[in-house]
Amino acid sequence: MTTIIGTAVPRIDAYGKVTGQTEYSGDLVMPGMLHAKILFAGRPHARILSIDTSAAEALPGVVAIFTAKDVPVNEYGLQINDQPVLCGPNSPLPAGEGTGVRADIVRFVGDQVALIVAETEAIADQARKLIRVEYEDLPVLTDPEEAMKPGAFLIHPERGTSNICVHDKIRKGDVEKGFAEADVIVEAEYRVPMQEHAYLQPEAGLAYVDENGLLTVKAAGQWTHVDRKQIAHALALPEEQVRVQYPAIGGAFGGREDMSIQIVIALAAWKLKRPVKIIWSRQESIIGHAKRHAMVIRAKWGARKDGKLTAARNLFIADGGAYMYTTNKVLGNSTITESGPYFIPNIEGDVIGVYTNNVPAAAFRGFGAPQAAFMAESQMNKLAEKLGMDPVEIRRINALKETDTMAVGTLPPNKPTVLEVIEAAAEKFGWEQGAVSRNQGSVNSHRAAVKRGRGFAAGFKNIGFSFGYKENCWARVEIHGQAEIEAVTVWCAAAEVGQGNHTILAQIAAEVTGVPLSRVNLLTMDTLNMGNAGSASASRLTVMSGNAVKGAAESALEKWKNEERPAVAEYTYLAPPTTPLDPETGYCTPNFLYAYAAQAVEVEVDTETGHVRLLRVVSAHDVGKAINPDLVVGQIEGGIVQAQGYVIQENFITRGGYVLTDQLSTYLIPTIWDIPAKVESVLVEIPAEIGPWGAKGVGELPYLPLAPAITAAIHDATGVWIDQFPLTPERVLRALGKL
Amino acid sequence: MSLWKEYLHPQTVEQAVQALSAAASPAIPIAGGTDLMLDLQQGNHPPVHTLVDLTGIPELRALEIRGEWLFIGAGVPHNRIVESPLAREHAASLVEACGLIGGPQVRNMATLGGNVAHALPAADGTIGLLALEAEAEIASPEGRRRVSLPALFRGPGQSTLAPTEIIVGFYLPLRAPGQGSAFVRVMRAQGIALPILNLAVWLERQEETIRAARVAVGPAGPTPFRAVQTSAYLTGKPFTAETIAGAQETLLAEARFRTSPARATAEYRRALAVVLLKNALTTAWQRAGQYPGSNQQ
Ligand SMILES: Cc1cc2nc3c(=O)[nH]c(=O)nc-3n(C[C@H](O)[C@H](O)[C@H](O)COP(=O)(O)OP(=O)(O)OC[C@H]3O[C@@H](n4cnc5c(N)ncnc54)[C@H](O)[C@@H]3O)c2cc1C
Repeated sequence: MTTIIGTAVPRIDAYGKVTGQTEYSGDLVMPGMLHAKILFAGRPHARILSIDTSAAEALPGVVAIFTAKDVPVNEYGLQINDQPVLCGPNSPLPAGEGTGVRADIVRFVGDQVALIVAETEAIADQARKLIRVEYEDLPVLTDPEEAMKPGAFLIHPERGTSNICVHDKIRKGDVEKGFAEADVIVEAEYRVPMQEHAYLQPEAGLAYVDENGLLTVKAAGQWTHVDRKQIAHALALPEEQVRVQYPAIGGAFGGREDMSIQIVIALAAWKLKRPVKIIWSRQESIIGHAKRHAMVIRAKWGARKDGKLTAARNLFIADGGAYMYTTNKVLGNSTITESGPYFIPNIEGDVIGVYTNNVPAAAFRGFGAPQAAFMAESQMNKLAEKLGMDPVEIRRINALKETDTMAVGTLPPNKPTVLEVIEAAAEKFGWEQGAVSRNQGSVNSHRAAVKRGRGFAAGFKNIGFSFGYKENCWARVEIHGQAEIEAVTVWCAAAEVGQGNHTILAQIAAEVTGVPLSRVNLLTMDTLNMGNAGSASASRLTVMSGNAVKGAAESALEKWKNEERPAVAEYTYLAPPTTPLDPETGYCTPNFLYAYAAQAVEVEVDTETGHVRLLRVVSAHDVGKAINPDLVVGQIEGGIVQAQGYVIQENFITRGGYVLTDQLSTYLIPTIWDIPAKVESVLVEIPAEIGPWGAKGVGELPYLPLAPAITAAIHDATGVWIDQFPLTPERVLRALGKL
Repeated sequence: MSLWKEYLHPQTVEQAVQALSAAASPAIPIAGGTDLMLDLQQGNHPPVHTLVDLTGIPELRALEIRGEWLFIGAGVPHNRIVESPLAREHAASLVEACGLIGGPQVRNMATLGGNVAHALPAADGTIGLLALEAEAEIASPEGRRRVSLPALFRGPGQSTLAPTEIIVGFYLPLRAPGQGSAFVRVMRAQGIALPILNLAVWLERQEETIRAARVAVGPAGPTPFRAVQTSAYLTGKPFTAETIAGAQETLLAEARFRTSPARATAEYRRALAVVLLKNALTTAWQRAGQYPGSNQQ
């Protein structure tokens, strides 16, 4: 019998955040603090011939200006070190003599060239304008299909003879045989856009050397320990010399996985021995951090008359932008999910990532799966149409089962529950009852030009890190008191990015030790005296940090029962091992856990203006066990709003590598007026053996089915398939043949 | 980092105009600040020394009938216009326009005067006013004068006001029997910024005939655009599908729709103009017929 698990207790961080007491990176202040600004390249591809900082240095109030020559090891990267910390000539370790990176080249507009440190922000800003940089422009590559051609100008000449940075393959069965068996074939080309994370809090941070000589960096991120590793590497310091702490995090969504301001402010604080603070403007944030991968996906799928899929051939070409960031892992995820949550006996897949001079692409909620889902689910909807079959029915027929091999050729690690979520979504929506509520009272529905339609899609994604990474999470629990437990202290570095993880950890500790939530304290988001927790990504923290805290709390309780005072235990949860993609066939067991989702939506299309409104969304999720149902619903509703922006309103426009939409007045995210009046979350709870109390994860899942469900609904309303988004009114009107 | 050095709170129009001439320059007026503060912050407006706040001047906050006119002070925020029964009765296109500007927070602060003075070709309030043939009252150190609204605009973001002048308010002809107006726009996300296209129509109806019409549309040129030829075309015509089609053609011939890289193509704007004109005409026509004193049989 549990009490707190499964209960919608209020978030433990709600009070501080709602009252404004909680400190975010931008709120941090220290005596003697200096202010920093970054000079960005502002051009997409060029060699820096010289940097003249003399006029800027002469400005009263300027304390120091750092350039490439000041960075001990001028390279970094989450996956590979392919990016200079500061671009410019005269790095201490040039490429070939230490680092692998040509630092004198800027490869996108957001590359950083100089850090200006001054007594005030205004002076730093003024000094920034006085720096003279001499550039020699290089050819700009912005189209991955051009950039991947043999002979294209190389963006990273030190990394081989092609701009292709990733190529994952799936070779399962015999696709030609599969197509020969098919009664219907659907072939299409899909295009999906870049997306900006648009978190509430732009990048900010404070770095200083503490009284023990530790270089401390306080800046929101997603994984304290890898931030530390990258900072230490670039500064040539032992990791123990660096401490990374997270203040409250104003949203992340994957966009804070890679470094932004951390290394440069650490460098300045270390050299100057004074606290250094920086806050990016929204414009700097938008050009300065990575985006969701834009992709072109060409797909050919076949099915028999009875609806059974026989074969699929998919080609993905993804714009990786100027640096690797996590492109290799993101595309690995597209590779795994390119079948959709369906059994396909024969698959051939090629997923290619290409360096360009666009803003780099990296992690973004869903991590390569939303793009793959748009293709896979659209293919399913079109096959259903060709077969005269209901879109729910064709999914029932092909839903992945325990005994089916996935695209990677191996069996699913946990029982697939795609059928269950499909049924749950269809039932809640009233799918079998047929038509949409065509005459319901939306503002425009009296106009004949406004058509309604409904659409269906499903999706699946791994929970936890993949491809042979030794997935682990550390926690420590202390139980204090004498006769009875007075306080329980949980240590875990896991990042609270807004998803509610810390509330979950407190609930778990309270449940195990049998105390009320008010007696649980958390010490989190720090590298000092804490083990690795892994990232707030891959929808993994409920399982990973949940299991770690559960294990630590259970053994601390044992010790408590054995009269230890305080009773202290540490525990590292290790997830079951996984294996990397085979380079030729993709054969592997990439993951230890998957979660499944399905959505049914209703939209309204104004066939005169091209406006699309999302009216209703039913979103069904197998979350294993909802440890806190309100937080799960929060993730579903938030995910749908963000995914709606991706599909309908947002439009990241670049030209020649320059970002045209670098403010929130031009990069339009959905407002309260745009989002559906109704999102109905359906929680299906089929326990996962692995998760704490059976819990899986949910954060990314709501993203996956939305785009294909919306385009299917537009097809239902208008008879037209639109295989590209965002669904700007103009694109919709054009697709309807009215432009 | 302060965006200004001095901030003044005049209590009368005369004090405000005086302050603009006498205070340390550059001195400029500020109303709701929703445009100005952003422009200053982002460096899109040259630095200023003195800000002269107009929102404490009672005359600029007035919204009342003055003889044959409805007077709306330049400092009246959009939300008051939206809620005003007088505005609803006499200025439907303006009320609709103001109701779509920004979100509630913006509408609580932003003023009609600021919307017009900023002189953007697609400012919603401005387009709503243009169709109503409003006049503006200008105060300068030399005294006051009334000008027609189009005379206020020089180019994108540029008004014809001298640095020492302010708009006191707007005079809108009272709505007579058989008259009606409407405003429509298309926007990607609601409540954030200027529209892709907006359009306002005013017309007077006599039985099944359009006695007079005025059409305004933005962005369709460097200044807020009055579709004079379309208005003339409509005048005296019966309200039929054929007339609407003719008006649509005329509008496309006289308006200069442009492509803006981050917003929309000219082609899309042309397609929209046709739709918005039909919809606004239809609504205005119905409203003209609904007026209690309508001479429609
Ligand atoms: C989030 C957001 C959304 C918005 N959405 C819209 C929208 O949908 N549609 C739209 O049209 N606009 C929109 N705007 C723009 C803006 O809010 C309006 O144009 C508003 O009406 C400007 O009025 P204000 O009082 O804030 O002007 P201010 O910013 O105070 O002033 C603007 C300019 O006018 C001058 N000025 C102000 N009053 C006078 C006067 N009486 N005499 C002479 N000069 C004067 C100022 O000196 C300044 O140059 C939006 C703005 C924001 C921030």
